[in-house]
Order: sequence, then C-alpha cells, then structure tokens
Amino acid sequence: MSDNSEPLVTELDPVIHAQARLRVVSALSVLGEHDRITFPQLQESLRMTAGNLSVHLRKLEDAGYVEVTKTHQGRTPATLVRLTRRGRLAFDDYTAALRALLNP
Amino acid sequence: MTPIDDDAPPLDPAESLALIERERHNLGRDLSPDPRMMFWPWGIAWLVGFTLFFLRFGPDGRVFVDLPEWIPLTGLALLMVAAGITTGIAGSRVSSRVSGPSTRQGIMYGVSWSIAFTAFSILFGQFSDLLPEDKAGLLWAGGMVALTGALHMAGGAVWNDRDLFVLGAWTSAINVAGILIGPGWHALIVAVAGGGGMIAAGIIGWQRLR
Repeated sequence: MSDNSEPLVTELDPVIHAQARLRVVSALSVLGEHDRITFPQLQESLRMTAGNLSVHLRKLEDAGYVEVTKTHQGRTPATLVRLTRRGRLAFDDYTAALRALLNP
Repeated sequence: MTPIDDDAPPLDPAESLALIERERHNLGRDLSPDPRMMFWPWGIAWLVGFTLFFLRFGPDGRVFVDLPEWIPLTGLALLMVAAGITTGIAGSRVSSRVSGPSTRQGIMYGVSWSIAFTAFSILFGQFSDLLPEDKAGLLWAGGMVALTGALHMAGGAVWNDRDLFVLGAWTSAINVAGILIGPGWHALIVAVAGGGGMIAAGIIGWQRLR
C-alpha cells in the first residue's frame, strides 16, 4: 500500500483526474464500443445538472475522449454521447494507475 | 500535474475506484430492463397456465378439476400475450436510451423469439390432428418450453449473462424430465419448476441491480 499521494498528481491523466469528469467517463465506459447514450439519460444517471454535464462533456470532447452527436429520434432532436477509443484507453490507463497505486 | 480546472479535488485511489464502480453500476442499472418486468409476467403465465393444464388434463387422463376444456389453453395464451406486451414495453423503454449495436442486438434477439415461435407453431399445427390429444399437448408444450430454454441460453451467450444461461439450461432440463415422465406431469413440472425458475430469475436479477 502506498500512502504517498505524490505519484497521484504527477502520473494520472489530468483530464479525468477531476471528480466530475471521472464520473462521466466511468459511466460511459459501461456502454458497448459503438453505443451512444442520450444526453438526458446520462444526466439522470449521473445526477448532474444539464449545464454542468455540458461543461464537462465539452472538456472531454476537446481532449478527444468523448464524441457528442446531434441527431433526430423521429422528429425530436436528440444529443447522443459516446466514449471514443481514445477515451476508453485513457479510462483503462487511469484505473490501472489507481490500482497500481493501491497495490504497488 | 494538477487538474485542469477547479473541480472538486481528486479523491484518494481507493475512493476513486469506488466512485468508478458506483457510476458504472448506476448506468448499468439504468440501461438494463427491470428483471422483475422481464421475468415475472412469464413466470406467472407458466405457473398459472400450466397449473390449469395439469388440473384439467392430469396424468393418465385424470381430471382433478372439471374445468371447461378450452379454459387452460385460452388462459395460458392470454397470460402469454400479456407477458409479451409487458416485456416488450419494459425492454423498448430501456433500449430507447441508447443507440448503436447493442440496440440492434436487442431487437434481433426479440425478433428471434417471434420468428422461432411462429415456425414451431406452424410445424406443430401439422401434427396436432394426427396425434392423440395428450401427446399433441405434450408436443406443443414440450416444444415451446424447449425453445424458451434454448433462447434463454442463447441470450446468456449474447450478453455474457450467466444467470440467463443458467435459467435456460434449467428450463431445458426440467422440460426433458417432464417429457420423459409423460403428459400431465409435464404440465405440473413446467408450472412449478419452470414458472418458479423465471420468478426466481426475476428476484435474483433485481437484487443484483439494486
């Protein structure tokens, strides 16, 4: 067990090393590789406000970790979100790094 | 490196891993149909419907309760239609939350049930009049239960869902046992062990998702 928090801040991905974005990416990691979730459902599952979720999605999108698509389901416009391959890799690396910190 | 904005401070590794698991569990739950809605209607249909069959068309032609002959088949058919509608609604409500390959998988799996049951019905319909009544009943019930078991096992394979596979294997096994023991007993076994198995699957699935 390592009780030294120094490596945490030096090695971990800064994009997901923030509680809200870690939550977003964790939730999205449940989806199948090419599956997209509707924005309202993601918001409800994460219990975040729409504005807050949008801000974090934009940061994740800028990093290339998520892809946000606007489309139509029937006549209603829908926003769909998916984790990109890059985002999934970053998430896998992040969890691996956390485990390594716990069991060095 | 520090986080790129002033969001809530990072947690320690153990807390972070717990947070990850919590969010994965939450979304996984929100994207799964309620197992009670998926299994209980079918479990109840089998339990009630096949019990009616057993009471009216018992082993060796015995009649335990002298119901009108049309009651068991009509009762089972109506209960199964109601179950189909309930699971269809519960499944499609969840599938509208996601779009992509897994939605297609779900639709293909649902359609497989309809196509396979239609095919079996047409095939069995060719033999109903040629067989004695109790054997014809066993052919229909045994065939449909076999198909249900097979499709549940296939569903287990598609979604890597061990519980669903076990339910399918259990259903298949009790069906074969009932077929070998004979008409009448088959209905009782399917009612209690088959219907009961689906009700148990609903409870187990629900507890895992909670």
